[in-house]
Amino acid sequence: MAADKVDPIHQFQITKILPIQVGNLDVSFTNSSLFMAATVIVATAFLVFASSNRSLVPNRWQLVAEMSYSFVANTLRDAAGKAGMQFFPLVFSLFMFVLVANLIGMFPYFFTVTSHIIVTFCLAMLVIGTVVVFGIWKHGFHFFGLFVPKGVPGALVPLVTVIEIISFLSRPISLSVRLFANMLAGHITLKVFAGFVVMLSAAGVTGVVGAILPLAMAVALTALEFLVAFLQAYVFTVLTCMYLNDAIHPGH
Amino acid sequence: MVDRPEGNRPDAERAGGRTDGETTASPPEPALADRLERLGASLEARRSEDGVEKSRVRSTGFAQAVKVASEFVAGVVVGAGIGWGIDRQLGTSPWALILFLLLGFAAGVLNVLRAEGKVAEAGARLREAERRRSSSPDGSGGDIA
Amino acid sequence: MDPQAAKYLGAGIATLGMAGAGIGLGTIFGNYLAGALRNPAAADGQFGRLIFGFAVTEALGIFSLLVALILLFA
Repeated sequence: MAADKVDPIHQFQITKILPIQVGNLDVSFTNSSLFMAATVIVATAFLVFASSNRSLVPNRWQLVAEMSYSFVANTLRDAAGKAGMQFFPLVFSLFMFVLVANLIGMFPYFFTVTSHIIVTFCLAMLVIGTVVVFGIWKHGFHFFGLFVPKGVPGALVPLVTVIEIISFLSRPISLSVRLFANMLAGHITLKVFAGFVVMLSAAGVTGVVGAILPLAMAVALTALEFLVAFLQAYVFTVLTCMYLNDAIHPGH
Repeated sequence: MVDRPEGNRPDAERAGGRTDGETTASPPEPALADRLERLGASLEARRSEDGVEKSRVRSTGFAQAVKVASEFVAGVVVGAGIGWGIDRQLGTSPWALILFLLLGFAAGVLNVLRAEGKVAEAGARLREAERRRSSSPDGSGGDIA
Repeated sequence: MDPQAAKYLGAGIATLGMAGAGIGLGTIFGNYLAGALRNPAAADGQFGRLIFGFAVTEALGIFSLLVALILLFA
């Protein structure tokens, strides 16, 4: 059918903008890199602009910035306690990056950085790497007590320990797959419904009337996607906080 | 959920960014400060429980489905990956793959139970779990039930 | 037939076993939901058994995945 016109996967294609080759490594500046840079610039510019004129009675921009600040701060404090606040810069940066990247992806013709698993996987590995490095640095060998559950009968301890280790190792995968799958599925659904509108409206008067339903669906899905964009950034942050909590207080 | 102590807390956090309005309050007495600290701690504990409950209710159905499915599949995939790697290194094919795929399956089920909040998180709540298990006669069934 | 091709075909056929696990999971969760909607008060108490059924059913599905993986990688 009209595969070249309405291809729901096409939006995720990576194109090289500025080809760079270092040895055997392809480090080209792609559209993904462009939108990652845009995400960082937008998030930084927003926060700098919002906090530029600090007033006791905040204006709208400052209010939004303060809300996002205290939102992440409360989430982190709830999950990891006061000791977790030392990770606030990391967690807040992650939250803003994921949120702004998700929201930028909502613009038509824009590229969604978080719909690529390698990006979300790297973010997740950053989190887990921080957890492991900080846990070992702070608690030394004691950190591995995380994997040895208490109150399990002696014969089962090795088995349960291996299961706990696998469970721990599966965290970055489930963390990244969750964000990636939500963004990917949402954008594909959006594109498919938008494609229905285009296809139906090309089929004459009855088609235009029939296109109202998928158009309404596309509008509703856009609203849902904004919710998902925020929700997934929030979920990513909450899980980051929970994993950091393991590094700060590994049980006993 | 804007109760008074919570409203105060972000202000205290933000005090570094503010230049005025915070210094006028007189320092509270030690006993009072202690009690305030305790109140804050108990409120924090209560609020964190509320927060967990809310986050579970608020997520959309699809997000929840992806969450549970990804938790399960991640466990199996990591288990299979470890088994495959061990097989490759030690040449024990296919036994490590079989063993670790099954262990990964168990880890996946554990992940699902954790995502649903039916089993205590590793680490933080282990002590509580220990207390609960030691009071009940059978320890092995505690994970499932 | 090329033995390599037969291996891939076998792996593909082996994964069909996962369909059985899928049907089983559908039955389990569907019946749990039906029961939970009839008597919501008892739903939470049966969650452990739901997960037990899920684990046992999915374990059988994992066996077919295991056969496929062994055919492919071992």
